[in-house]
Amino acid sequence: MSSELTVREEQARGFVNIYISGEVDIYTSQSLKDKLYAIVDSNDSDLKIDCRDLHYIDSTGLGIFVGILKKVRQNNKKIFLSNIKDNIKKLFLITGLDKLFIIE
Amino acid sequence: MDTVNDKIEISLPFKAEYVSIVRLTASGVANRIGFDIDTIEDIKVAVAEVCNKLVNAGSADALEYKIVFKMHKERLDIIFDCEDKKLKCIFDKERDQLALALINALMDGAELCSDTPYLFSMYKVLEGKV
Repeated sequence: MSSELTVREEQARGFVNIYISGEVDIYTSQSLKDKLYAIVDSNDSDLKIDCRDLHYIDSTGLGIFVGILKKVRQNNKKIFLSNIKDNIKKLFLITGLDKLFIIE
Repeated sequence: MDTVNDKIEISLPFKAEYVSIVRLTASGVANRIGFDIDTIEDIKVAVAEVCNKLVNAGSADALEYKIVFKMHKERLDIIFDCEDKKLKCIFDKERDQLALALINALMDGAELCSDTPYLFSMYKVLEGKV
Protein backbone atom coordinates (compact mmCIF):
# COMPACT_ATOMS: atom_id res chain seq x y z
CA MET A 1 0.00 0.00 0.00
CA SER A 2 1.64 3.24 -1.06
CA SER A 3 0.51 6.79 -1.60
CA GLU A 4 1.53 8.24 -4.92
CA LEU A 5 3.87 11.22 -4.86
CA THR A 6 5.82 12.81 -7.68
CA VAL A 7 8.09 15.84 -7.67
CA ARG A 8 9.05 17.48 -10.95
CA GLU A 9 11.63 20.22 -11.33
CA GLU A 10 11.76 22.79 -14.12
CA GLN A 11 14.46 25.42 -14.47
CA ALA A 12 13.37 28.96 -15.29
CA ARG A 13 15.15 32.30 -15.44
CA GLY A 14 15.89 33.30 -11.82
CA PHE A 15 13.89 30.58 -10.16
CA VAL A 16 13.05 26.89 -10.12
CA ASN A 17 9.54 25.63 -10.71
CA ILE A 18 8.65 22.58 -8.64
CA TYR A 19 5.49 20.59 -9.28
CA ILE A 20 4.35 18.34 -6.44
CA SER A 21 1.55 15.90 -7.16
CA GLY A 22 -0.11 13.24 -5.07
CA GLU A 23 -0.19 12.80 -1.32
CA VAL A 24 2.45 13.79 1.22
CA ASP A 25 2.08 11.66 4.31
CA ILE A 26 4.28 9.85 6.80
CA TYR A 27 5.11 7.24 4.15
CA THR A 28 5.95 9.52 1.22
CA SER A 29 7.45 12.44 3.16
CA GLN A 30 11.01 11.12 3.16
CA SER A 31 10.96 10.98 -0.62
CA LEU A 32 9.67 14.56 -0.77
CA LYS A 33 12.33 15.68 1.67
CA ASP A 34 15.14 14.04 -0.30
CA LYS A 35 13.97 15.53 -3.58
CA LEU A 36 13.38 19.05 -2.27
CA TYR A 37 16.66 19.16 -0.37
CA ALA A 38 18.50 17.98 -3.50
CA ILE A 39 16.86 20.76 -5.51
CA VAL A 40 17.76 23.39 -2.91
CA ASP A 41 21.33 22.12 -2.67
CA SER A 42 21.84 22.32 -6.42
CA ASN A 43 20.13 25.67 -7.02
CA ASP A 44 20.78 29.13 -5.69
CA SER A 45 17.46 30.65 -6.66
CA ASP A 46 13.91 31.25 -5.51
CA LEU A 47 11.58 28.24 -5.52
CA LYS A 48 8.11 28.33 -6.98
CA ILE A 49 6.19 25.29 -5.79
CA ASP A 50 3.03 24.51 -7.74
CA CYS A 51 0.61 22.59 -5.56
CA ARG A 52 -2.30 22.20 -7.99
CA ASP A 53 -1.98 18.42 -7.95
CA LEU A 54 -1.12 18.11 -4.28
CA HIS A 55 -4.18 16.43 -2.80
CA TYR A 56 -3.13 15.73 0.76
CA ILE A 57 -0.50 16.86 3.23
CA ASP A 58 -0.08 16.34 6.96
CA SER A 59 2.20 17.82 9.61
CA THR A 60 5.08 15.67 8.37
CA GLY A 61 4.88 17.35 4.98
CA LEU A 62 4.37 20.81 6.46
CA GLY A 63 7.49 20.24 8.55
CA ILE A 64 9.46 19.49 5.40
CA PHE A 65 8.27 22.74 3.83
CA VAL A 66 9.51 24.58 6.92
CA GLY A 67 12.83 22.74 6.67
CA ILE A 68 13.46 23.75 3.07
CA LEU A 69 12.34 27.31 3.84
CA LYS A 70 15.11 27.52 6.45
CA LYS A 71 17.64 26.25 3.92
CA VAL A 72 16.47 28.61 1.20
CA ARG A 73 16.53 31.59 3.54
CA GLN A 74 20.18 30.91 4.34
CA ASN A 75 20.82 31.93 0.73
CA ASN A 76 18.46 34.92 1.03
CA LYS A 77 16.02 33.26 -1.35
CA LYS A 78 12.27 32.80 -1.13
CA ILE A 79 9.66 30.10 -1.56
CA PHE A 80 6.43 30.82 -3.41
CA LEU A 81 3.53 28.40 -3.09
CA SER A 82 0.82 28.51 -5.73
CA ASN A 83 -2.47 26.83 -6.61
CA ILE A 84 -2.92 25.34 -3.16
CA LYS A 85 -6.23 23.57 -2.72
CA ASP A 86 -8.54 25.05 -0.08
CA ASN A 87 -8.33 22.04 2.26
CA ILE A 88 -4.53 22.33 2.27
CA LYS A 89 -4.47 26.13 2.52
CA LYS A 90 -6.58 25.70 5.64
CA LEU A 91 -3.75 23.69 7.24
CA PHE A 92 -1.28 26.50 6.55
CA LEU A 93 -3.69 28.97 8.20
CA ILE A 94 -4.28 26.77 11.26
CA THR A 95 -0.57 26.26 11.86
CA GLY A 96 0.37 29.89 11.10
CA LEU A 97 2.65 28.77 8.28
CA ASP A 98 0.80 31.06 5.87
CA LYS A 99 2.84 33.87 7.46
CA LEU A 100 6.16 32.23 6.62
CA PHE A 101 5.54 31.36 2.97
CA ILE A 102 4.51 33.55 0.09
CA ILE A 103 1.21 32.03 -0.95
CA GLU A 104 0.04 33.10 -4.39
CA MET B 1 -29.47 2.91 5.77
CA ASP B 2 -29.40 3.22 9.56
CA THR B 3 -25.81 3.42 10.79
CA VAL B 4 -26.59 4.68 14.29
CA ASN B 5 -24.36 2.99 16.87
CA ASP B 6 -22.51 1.00 14.24
CA LYS B 7 -18.85 0.48 15.03
CA ILE B 8 -15.96 -0.04 12.64
CA GLU B 9 -12.68 -1.33 14.04
CA ILE B 10 -9.36 -1.49 12.30
CA SER B 11 -6.06 -2.84 13.65
CA LEU B 12 -2.79 -1.84 12.07
CA PRO B 13 0.89 -2.62 12.41
CA PHE B 14 3.10 0.30 13.46
CA LYS B 15 4.08 0.94 9.85
CA ALA B 16 3.88 4.17 7.87
CA GLU B 17 2.60 2.51 4.71
CA TYR B 18 -0.71 1.61 6.38
CA VAL B 19 -1.72 5.09 7.53
CA SER B 20 -3.28 5.71 4.12
CA ILE B 21 -5.65 2.81 4.85
CA VAL B 22 -6.83 4.60 7.97
CA ARG B 23 -7.46 7.75 5.94
CA LEU B 24 -9.54 5.79 3.45
CA THR B 25 -11.51 4.14 6.25
CA ALA B 26 -12.09 7.45 8.04
CA SER B 27 -13.26 8.96 4.77
CA GLY B 28 -15.75 6.15 4.15
CA VAL B 29 -17.15 6.19 7.67
CA ALA B 30 -17.49 9.98 7.79
CA ASN B 31 -19.16 9.99 4.39
CA ARG B 32 -21.65 7.38 5.60
CA ILE B 33 -22.65 9.60 8.54
CA GLY B 34 -23.17 12.54 6.17
CA PHE B 35 -20.21 14.84 6.68
CA ASP B 36 -19.42 17.10 3.72
CA ILE B 37 -16.27 16.72 1.66
CA ASP B 38 -14.35 19.51 3.43
CA THR B 39 -15.09 18.06 6.86
CA ILE B 40 -14.12 14.59 5.70
CA GLU B 41 -10.74 16.00 4.63
CA ASP B 42 -10.37 17.55 8.09
CA ILE B 43 -11.17 14.26 9.82
CA LYS B 44 -8.69 12.41 7.60
CA VAL B 45 -5.88 14.78 8.58
CA ALA B 46 -6.67 14.64 12.31
CA VAL B 47 -6.88 10.85 12.36
CA ALA B 48 -3.64 10.52 10.40
CA GLU B 49 -1.83 12.83 12.80
CA VAL B 50 -2.53 10.46 15.67
CA CYS B 51 -1.51 7.46 13.56
CA ASN B 52 1.72 9.23 12.59
CA LYS B 53 2.53 9.75 16.24
CA LEU B 54 1.85 6.12 17.11
CA VAL B 55 3.88 4.85 14.15
CA ASN B 56 6.80 7.12 15.00
CA ALA B 57 6.69 6.06 18.64
CA GLY B 58 6.33 2.36 17.84
CA SER B 59 6.03 -0.27 20.53
CA ALA B 60 8.27 -2.97 21.91
CA ASP B 61 5.31 -4.66 23.59
CA ALA B 62 2.57 -4.61 20.96
CA LEU B 63 2.41 -5.52 17.29
CA GLU B 64 -0.63 -3.42 16.45
CA TYR B 65 -2.68 -0.42 17.45
CA LYS B 66 -6.43 -0.22 17.07
CA ILE B 67 -8.77 2.48 15.84
CA VAL B 68 -12.49 2.33 16.55
CA PHE B 69 -14.91 4.51 14.60
CA LYS B 70 -18.19 4.84 16.51
CA MET B 71 -20.96 6.11 14.28
CA HIS B 72 -23.77 8.14 15.79
CA LYS B 73 -26.65 9.88 14.08
CA GLU B 74 -24.92 13.26 14.01
CA ARG B 75 -21.51 12.55 15.42
CA LEU B 76 -18.40 10.46 14.82
CA ASP B 77 -16.28 9.27 17.74
CA ILE B 78 -12.81 7.93 17.02
CA ILE B 79 -10.90 5.98 19.64
CA PHE B 80 -7.26 4.91 19.45
CA ASP B 81 -6.02 2.10 21.62
CA CYS B 82 -3.18 -0.36 22.05
CA GLU B 83 -2.17 -3.04 24.52
CA ASP B 84 0.93 -0.97 25.18
CA LYS B 85 -0.32 1.73 27.55
CA LYS B 86 3.11 3.36 27.58
CA LEU B 87 1.85 5.06 24.43
CA LYS B 88 -0.50 7.21 26.50
CA CYS B 89 0.28 10.94 26.64
CA ILE B 90 3.06 10.75 24.04
CA PHE B 91 2.25 14.05 22.34
CA ASP B 92 4.78 16.72 23.20
CA LYS B 93 3.63 20.37 23.16
CA GLU B 94 6.85 21.57 21.55
CA ARG B 95 7.87 18.76 19.25
CA ASP B 96 4.35 17.98 18.07
CA GLN B 97 3.01 21.50 17.86
CA LEU B 98 2.01 21.28 14.20
CA ALA B 99 0.15 17.99 14.74
CA LEU B 100 -1.53 19.24 17.91
CA ALA B 101 -2.60 22.47 16.23
CA LEU B 102 -4.19 20.51 13.40
CA ILE B 103 -5.96 17.96 15.61
CA ASN B 104 -7.37 20.58 17.95
CA ALA B 105 -8.51 22.88 15.15
CA LEU B 106 -9.95 20.27 12.82
CA MET B 107 -11.90 18.21 15.35
CA ASP B 108 -14.64 19.37 17.71
CA GLY B 109 -12.94 17.67 20.62
CA ALA B 110 -9.84 15.60 21.29
CA GLU B 111 -8.55 13.82 24.40
CA LEU B 112 -4.87 13.16 23.90
CA CYS B 113 -3.83 12.68 27.50
CA SER B 114 -6.67 11.87 29.83
CA ASP B 115 -7.61 9.29 32.41
CA THR B 116 -9.32 6.87 30.02
CA PRO B 117 -8.76 3.14 29.53
CA TYR B 118 -7.79 3.81 25.91
CA LEU B 119 -4.98 5.98 24.52
CA PHE B 120 -6.66 8.83 22.67
CA SER B 121 -10.06 9.89 21.42
CA MET B 122 -11.55 12.58 19.24
CA TYR B 123 -14.96 13.45 17.88
CA LYS B 124 -16.64 15.46 15.18
CA VAL B 125 -20.26 16.60 15.11
CA LEU B 126 -22.25 17.28 11.97
CA GLU B 127 -22.31 21.01 11.26
CA GLY B 128 -25.23 22.76 12.94
CA LYS B 129 -25.75 19.90 15.36
CA VAL B 130 -23.35 21.03 18.10
